[in-house]
Amino acid sequence: MSEIWVLVDTTAEGTVRNVTYEVLTAAVKLKEKNSATVAAVYVGENAGSIESDLSKFGAEKIYKVESPALKDFNPAAYAAAFSEVIKKHSPDIILGGNTLHNQDFLPRVASKTSAGLIFDAVDLDISSSSTLQIKRYRYSGKSISGMTFHDVKPMIATVRPNTFKATENSASGEVVTENPEVATEDNIKILETKLVPKDRPELTEADKIVSGGRGMANGDNFKLIYDVADSIGAGAGASRAAVDSGYVPYEMQVGQTGKVVAPNLYVAVGISGSVQHYAGMGSSKVIVAINKDPDAPIFQKCDYGICGDLFEVLPALTEEFKKLS
Amino acid sequence: MKILVIVRQTPDTEAKITSNSAGNGIESNELKWILNPFDEFAVEEAVKLKENNGAEVVILGVGPDRTIEAIRTALAMGGDSAIHIKDESFGEMDSYALAKVISSKIKEIGDVDLILSGKKWIDEESGQVAVQIAEELNIPQATIASKVDVDEGAKTIKVQSEIEGGQRIVELSFPALVTCERGLNEPRYASLPGIMKAKKKPLEEVAIDAINLEELGLTKEGLGSAGSRYKVDNIEIPVINRSLNILKGSGSDVVEGGEVQKAAEDLAKLLREEAKII
Repeated sequence: MSEIWVLVDTTAEGTVRNVTYEVLTAAVKLKEKNSATVAAVYVGENAGSIESDLSKFGAEKIYKVESPALKDFNPAAYAAAFSEVIKKHSPDIILGGNTLHNQDFLPRVASKTSAGLIFDAVDLDISSSSTLQIKRYRYSGKSISGMTFHDVKPMIATVRPNTFKATENSASGEVVTENPEVATEDNIKILETKLVPKDRPELTEADKIVSGGRGMANGDNFKLIYDVADSIGAGAGASRAAVDSGYVPYEMQVGQTGKVVAPNLYVAVGISGSVQHYAGMGSSKVIVAINKDPDAPIFQKCDYGICGDLFEVLPALTEEFKKLS
Repeated sequence: MKILVIVRQTPDTEAKITSNSAGNGIESNELKWILNPFDEFAVEEAVKLKENNGAEVVILGVGPDRTIEAIRTALAMGGDSAIHIKDESFGEMDSYALAKVISSKIKEIGDVDLILSGKKWIDEESGQVAVQIAEELNIPQATIASKVDVDEGAKTIKVQSEIEGGQRIVELSFPALVTCERGLNEPRYASLPGIMKAKKKPLEEVAIDAINLEELGLTKEGLGSAGSRYKVDNIEIPVINRSLNILKGSGSDVVEGGEVQKAAEDLAKLLREEAKII
């Protein structure tokens, strides 16, 4: 029977990232079309006991692809190990979150297995000829392309975080352990990994985001953004103008040349709403704008807004959000 | 040291995108095209390495005739020579096919130590081709580099890369591939003398017919044109259709004084009761 595989993304602590459950939910939906078996696939040194979490979200099978050679993340070694298991079991479809980790080794897997590979899908379906169909943004959020795979196996796609809502769907979760031989090359050495403890959710996975723009006037004023963000458990972002002015670091930038995000709630504060910024957050479900310029373009691209001075509105909003929690 | 920089021509970030009459691609005639912004960091880094350590910088671009403009920009920034792989149908190639074609050319060059490119193409919103090239060439890669340090004697490059939740530093042995992030450097502008000189720099044009696609395994039955593993069925231009419920002041448009707290309260209520989002 054909299988749909879902790559398991884990945190440094070894817990399963939410995006994995979102993609599992999407795979369970696809299975209605082709009656495939949905399997979760872990690739790494040691999976630990993740099977109960994965089976809760619909994994009928759980492949644990483990090897001591996969202790550190070496994209070539991960690709070699995963490709060997793909060749052995011939899944039709492989899905994963559009995470940096997956983006770093799935292209190698696609080349090794002659697979088709599409990043960052926001919709998935099965065509009449049983191939995978996806929708994805191209040209920086300015267009949506419908794409269909030709008759190749496997068909590999990554899925944009926050696109599917993770839904529990209990399944058997039969565990299959694979220990592929991984030849380690000495052409890459991992010297140091610096995980920065984050006070707030990562932008690409955040359910809510509050972003500040040039209107914040300086870096210190971003405290007002963080206060609102923390009152609703949101991530904190910024426009290119705020980053270019040196208020906050580049890693906070949302937009065409920054991060592309798709939260349920995006609050744009002191951001005029340029084409480039909208390209990075236009697929957010609800957009709120706070700006004192009634003619700011953002007021033509939002669901809710307050036309007012952000230095007055933000503290008031923090207070109201806290009342609700 | 020989450095190869892979460049892409993309629509300008300000460009308005419309679909073509067939509805499966974009209308490209009216567009302003630029060197992919992330590739500028790759070109700049290569030219800096050339200035500091001495190196030969080769620019490689794939695409139709107009791609020469992006290639010339890279040459004007300091590239020494360029290769332009030409064919109008390249737009239909997928990352698998493109990586095969580009890698075959790199293998032909032979003695490349370092391959640089931007972390992603802003038109395709993806950086997958670069990683597939690393696989085809069987060389190590580091993506989304914010800092690099070349040790020419040891033939290695140290790279600080972005990963989920932080950074990591890896050391790659040559030949190696690195994709570049904003912040790695400040790309220089192509100067007027630079632009004049660029026109005289060696340019090799490679026609698609000169590349044996069959030998690269790209012409199997069941695949799309040029060996693509998928096809674009249609392109939609998303229409911005939002509810535009803006809370304004009673006097002017701007909320003032006591209206501020009331507006904040109303917004919080709307987000909870109407949008059901907090």
